[in-house]
Amino acid sequence: MTLHTALVKTEEEEISSDKAKKFIFSEKYGAESIFIGRVRSENSGKKVTAVTYDAHDQAVTKSFQSICNDAKNKFDKGAKIFLEHAKGYVPVGEISILIAAGSGHRDEAFKICRYILEEVKHQSPIWKKEHYADGKEEWLPGHSLRPKKEIK
Amino acid sequence: MEIQLRLYGSSKMLSDKEILHIELPNNSNIEKLRRALNKIISEKYLKNNLQNLPKTAAFFSEADEVITDNYKLKDKELISIIPPIGGG
Repeated sequence: MTLHTALVKTEEEEISSDKAKKFIFSEKYGAESIFIGRVRSENSGKKVTAVTYDAHDQAVTKSFQSICNDAKNKFDKGAKIFLEHAKGYVPVGEISILIAAGSGHRDEAFKICRYILEEVKHQSPIWKKEHYADGKEEWLPGHSLRPKKEIK
Repeated sequence: MEIQLRLYGSSKMLSDKEILHIELPNNSNIEKLRRALNKIISEKYLKNNLQNLPKTAAFFSEADEVITDNYKLKDKELISIIPPIGGG
């Protein structure tokens, strides 16, 4: 198996970098690249305490598979890729997304992680609601999936 | 006719439930649904910064495919509203 993707429900389990490292390991590979995204404590001058991630589960699962297969086809068909994204409440400092790639060479491993991150942000139906220290909360703006020709 | 709209992201501010039931004239399409949403938001939810939602949202069919403005809705059809996305 060369591909693992999952939407991780935070109330049931957590995203683990050890699991990712084990999954992508191979003696054939000279490079492993791991990207970890975490919830940060400040955004646009507001003190953030946590983010709740909402997701369209089925569409996210399909998009993760498609994006990772595209990454393999573009950069290294022999790569192993691990992608997990949180769904639910994630406090500051905790992992929201983890992308790991094992590949023959560093350039491909870096490119796979970068490509997957950008495509997830533009293709996968996931939404963030930030929670602030003053008790307020806000859904963040994002990238519209409406066909561009329809937006006047 | 009535359609069932499964809510995601910021559209969850439109209801405490996962699915919002919306009455539409018979033979409505997605464009008509956008107008109906615009009316609901301008009447009840202007304070929630949802004014752009009817324009910027996409809609998914039950098969999780994007459906365009001329897609004809069926009575009791369940579709999903997809506000602008931004994971990571």
